[in-house]
Amino acid sequence: MRAFRRQKGRYVARMDAGERAVVASVVADVAELLGAGRFEDGVPAAGPGPHAGAGLVDGAPAGPWTVRTAPLPPPDDPAVRRLLPDASRDDPEVAEEFRRLTEDDLRARKVARLRSLWTALVHGEPGWPDDAFVVAPASADDVAATLTDLRLVLADRLEIRTDADSEALYDSLATAAEDDVRAYLASVYGALSWLQESLLAVMLTAHDERRPGRGPSDD
Amino acid sequence: MGGRTYSGDVPAPTAVPDTTVEADEATGLADAWVTIVWNDPVNLMSYVTYVFQTYFRYPREKAERLMRQVHQEGRAVVSTGNREAMEVDVQAMHGYGLWATLQRGGE
Repeated sequence: MRAFRRQKGRYVARMDAGERAVVASVVADVAELLGAGRFEDGVPAAGPGPHAGAGLVDGAPAGPWTVRTAPLPPPDDPAVRRLLPDASRDDPEVAEEFRRLTEDDLRARKVARLRSLWTALVHGEPGWPDDAFVVAPASADDVAATLTDLRLVLADRLEIRTDADSEALYDSLATAAEDDVRAYLASVYGALSWLQESLLAVMLTAHDERRPGRGPSDD
Repeated sequence: MGGRTYSGDVPAPTAVPDTTVEADEATGLADAWVTIVWNDPVNLMSYVTYVFQTYFRYPREKAERLMRQVHQEGRAVVSTGNREAMEVDVQAMHGYGLWATLQRGGE
């Protein structure tokens, strides 16, 4: 895996076939957690659709033009609940109303982003080498946000609850010799963190170049 | 806001516009909500800064200050406005993978 850098107006990282397969499988797992059908090889899967999971929760699938009237309970899986979090910590009415009105849309947006990332990982970019992971600047926000979603789910499974847990995990990567599931998840988490950090570096540089003259005086 | 004082001849109040302004200000206070972003051990400092710079259009210094406040104090108020506006901001933050909540200002 090689860090993102700017190349021909795109943000380009290098990932070999094995790395792409690992990340694509995490992408598909997270999409499945959000209620999408399993992304299949070949054409992007239509699946039961992004609302399938939501529909199963209360038996009342909501489309984009329908408004839920019944309360939508928070997801049971803590990782999914972190992707679709409560909008209030101390006011159940605010949290309930917000979830009822916004969760379907947020869930659908996240699944759509995951599907785009999965397609890019599996099919690559025409006209670029096979190991090039190519992100158009206009899609960079979506890719960065989706990398966050992947890392949030992995962090839940790795039981990273505090900044100290996170530091300990990064430290363990340097010395990890154990061949178990946790070590595997930790190495994927570490790689995605590193990849996202390198993407953010090029995004922030491009952002600064787009806004010349912005500085403390604007604060 | 306050701070402005008049001396000398104070012009006679023009009743209707003044009343309107006071009514609007009262409504504004009643509708004051805030968006709070909470710390988590996953989001990168560079990413949080980027989100604050691009979504809220804050200059880098302000975005970095808010990011550090989230990281060090566990939370920061990142925007203020009426409830509907804060719901839009909270939903956007959730889209970015940041955990945000809304609440009435001053609570």
